Order: sequence, then C-alpha cells, then structure tokens
Amino acid sequence: MTPFVTMLQFLLPGLGVTVSVTLIALGLGGCIGALMAVFRVYGNPVVKGLAVSYSVVVRAVPVVVIIFILFFVISAFIDLSPFMSGAIALGFASGAYQTEIFRGAILSIPQGQMTAARGIGMSKAKAIRCIILPQAFRVAIPSLINEVTLVLKDSSLVFVIGVPELMRRAQYASASTMEPLLAFGTAACFYIVLTLVLSRLLETVEKRFAVQF
Amino acid sequence: MKDKPMTRPVLRIENLCKSFGATPVVRDVSFDVHPSEVIVIIGSSGTGKSTLLQCLNLLHRPTSGRIFLEDQEITASGMNEDTVRRQMGMVFQEFNLFNHLTVLGNVTVGMTKVLGMPAEDAEKKAMNELERVGMADHRHKYPAQLSGGQKQRVGIARALGMSPKVMLFDEPTSALDPELTGEVLTVMQKLAAEGMTMIIVSHEMGFAREAADRVIFMENGRIEEQGPPDRMFTHPESERTRKFLSIITTGNTDPPIGKAT
Repeated sequence: MTPFVTMLQFLLPGLGVTVSVTLIALGLGGCIGALMAVFRVYGNPVVKGLAVSYSVVVRAVPVVVIIFILFFVISAFIDLSPFMSGAIALGFASGAYQTEIFRGAILSIPQGQMTAARGIGMSKAKAIRCIILPQAFRVAIPSLINEVTLVLKDSSLVFVIGVPELMRRAQYASASTMEPLLAFGTAACFYIVLTLVLSRLLETVEKRFAVQF
Repeated sequence: MKDKPMTRPVLRIENLCKSFGATPVVRDVSFDVHPSEVIVIIGSSGTGKSTLLQCLNLLHRPTSGRIFLEDQEITASGMNEDTVRRQMGMVFQEFNLFNHLTVLGNVTVGMTKVLGMPAEDAEKKAMNELERVGMADHRHKYPAQLSGGQKQRVGIARALGMSPKVMLFDEPTSALDPELTGEVLTVMQKLAAEGMTMIIVSHEMGFAREAADRVIFMENGRIEEQGPPDRMFTHPESERTRKFLSIITTGNTDPPIGKAT
C-alpha cells in the first residue's frame, strides 16, 4: 500500500496542472465553439466559410500535431509558456468539436424563437445572444459533458512539450522507480476520479438549467 | 359599434405586394387602419393573410408598395426594422414563448433588452400586462407548464409589454384545442374594448362578428371585399365571399362521407 500512497503524493501536484489545462482548454474551446457555431448558422458566406474550414481542418489534424505546431511555431513569435501553449492548443482543438456541438444545438431551437425575438424588436445579434444561445447551451449540455471527458484525457498529451501534468509526472516516476504499472495505474485512477467528478458536476448543472419544450 | 371619428390612420398600407421568388402571395393590397380600429382578415388558407400580416411589421420584407406607421414610411430604405417592430406587437399562431424564461421573464425581456427599461420598472409593467390577460398568478411558471390558452395569453402580454401602437394577431387561436380558444378570445375582446388597435388574421367568425369594426376578406392575395361585419356576414357583395362564408359557417368543409340516414 505504501508505494501506492507515495506514488499518489508524487503525482498529486500534476493534478492541479491537469485540471487547469483542461478548464482553460474547455473555456477557450467553448468561446470559440459558440462563436463559430453562430457564424456557421447565421453568418454571411465569408464567416461561414471561415467557420467551416476551421472545424473541418482542426478536426482532421491530430491534437498532438496541433500542440507541437503551437508550441514550436507560435512560441517562436510570442513568448508562451509550455503550459499556456498546451492549454491554448487543446482549446483550439476542442473548439472545433464544440462548434459542431453548438451548431447542432442551435439548429434544434425552433425557428419561432427567432421570429418572436425579432417580433419584439430585438436585433438579430441580440436575439442570438439573449434567446437562442441560452436555450442552445442547455440543449448542448449532454454533449458537452462528453466533450469534457475527452478534453480531460487529451490534456495528457501536453506532456510532449514538458508540461508537468499528471501524465508527465507519471512518466517521470515510471522511469525513476522502474514501476510503470504503478505509475501509470495511479495516473489512470486520477483520471477516472476526475472524469467522474467533472461529469457529475455538469450533470448537476444540466438538471439545474433543464428546459422542457 | 364603436364610434370612429375620422382620424389620422395608425397604419396605412399602399399597394403592398409580396412575392416569394416568382410566386406572388400578396397582390396590390391597400387599406388604412385607424386608431382603436379592430380589423379581422379572413379567407381560405394560402391566400396570403399571414404573409400580409408579417409584411406589416417587416418580418417579411414587402416586394413593393409602401407602409406608413403614423407618419413614418417604414418601408423606406434605411429604416431600422427593429425600431419599427418594437412599436407593433405580434402574437403568433404557435405562441413562440421563450422556453428558457418564466412567464414574467417572457414579458420583461423585451422591455429590458430592447427598450432598456430598468428591471424593476419592467417587472411592474409586466405584472400589469399579466394582470390584463389573467396570468399574473402564473408568473413564475415556465412555458412548458402552461396550457395552450395560457401560453397564448402570455404571448399577448409579451406583445403588450412593448406598449405597441398596433397589435397584430396571426391566427392566435388556430393551434388551440376548441375549449381553450374562449379564454384567448375573451382577452382579445377586452383589449378591443379598451381601444387597442388590432389587426387579426382569424377563422373565428363569431369573434369577427362581435369584436371587429371591419372585416377584410382576402382571396388569392387580394382584398376581395371589406366592410363592417354586419354587412359582410349578412349581405356579402362578392360571390366568393358568400361561398367562403357559407363553407365556414356551416362548420364543415369536407363533403359528407357516406351519409348515414
């Protein structure tokens, strides 16, 4: 039991990093996704084209490749820590998936909602912001829960640029103790617990904001 | 019938046409709407009644023709459609209440987000409007918890909240179970009595007869005939009006099936 506890203690600092990377990525991805989804559904041909290309290209490129590109290419121009470039790369990748999630959610909102919003004199932008998106967000929650777990697991990929998150520390521990099963097994436990906690949290949000149609 | 002094029209429609692609739906419609006037537009389905109504607040952009709201030509180029729409209330066949907002939220959202009223004032006014349609007790409920008739009354309150110069009703009772139409029509009748200017697309002939100042019969995108309900329902001049009314008032458009004797 003691080696496991020691391993837990060794990996623990990585937990905070993993959670931070995940939350930043999800937040960034959510903003990008909501914006791109609005572009795709309501935008003029130019912004629609932009949103479609983004979503198609980014979903076609492995996340690791995006992480490397951002880290090596972008950080040559601006000063970005591995932590930030990793989080941004993950957010950029997640944004493409969240674009599709939000697009589906927006399309599921009955047309009459927009008509009614315009009918009381709202501009299109205001109707999207005050009427469509709040409802679309609620519809999207179940798919977002899934996305949270995916991003959480993808966050392990930032170990390739040396961010000291769970995976990185597990790898380090595995190398120094020669006990890969213990190291990665403990890391797996952390991921399992994290996933359960985050999904449960969002399910609470889902219940709180549930909308019946 | 109410007294109608000759006043400046609230709404003046001149030669309004609307086509979708090559299909003309509204053809050369002109009429004036005077303050406190209640106009009921009748006619068979697909004759452009709803399209005409949605042209009036520019939810559909007219293909040609002009519309004046008081003295302002709202069809003029450069006119802000949103400014126009907030002066006209619209009630929809499918209610279209905002599902994520409570009854109260549905009525206040336009006041706060569009008119920029402080939340407190908006709530006070919203409560007044909900009182008017008899829905004040339900203010904390969500649309999904309401019956169709209740939803439509909230829809009316939402439109009233914007203090519109004219109310447009697009078949407000068509999506309702027959036993629920009464409560909505009662509210509309009350509004009419209070002097609200109203244009109503409806199949409720009883309501038209009682509450309307003028009935417009549309056929094929045109105004076929118009006049006070007494005359329209008893001595229609046009053959088509007569035919339509006889179908509607016998309450059965289907030919009898296998007559049981």
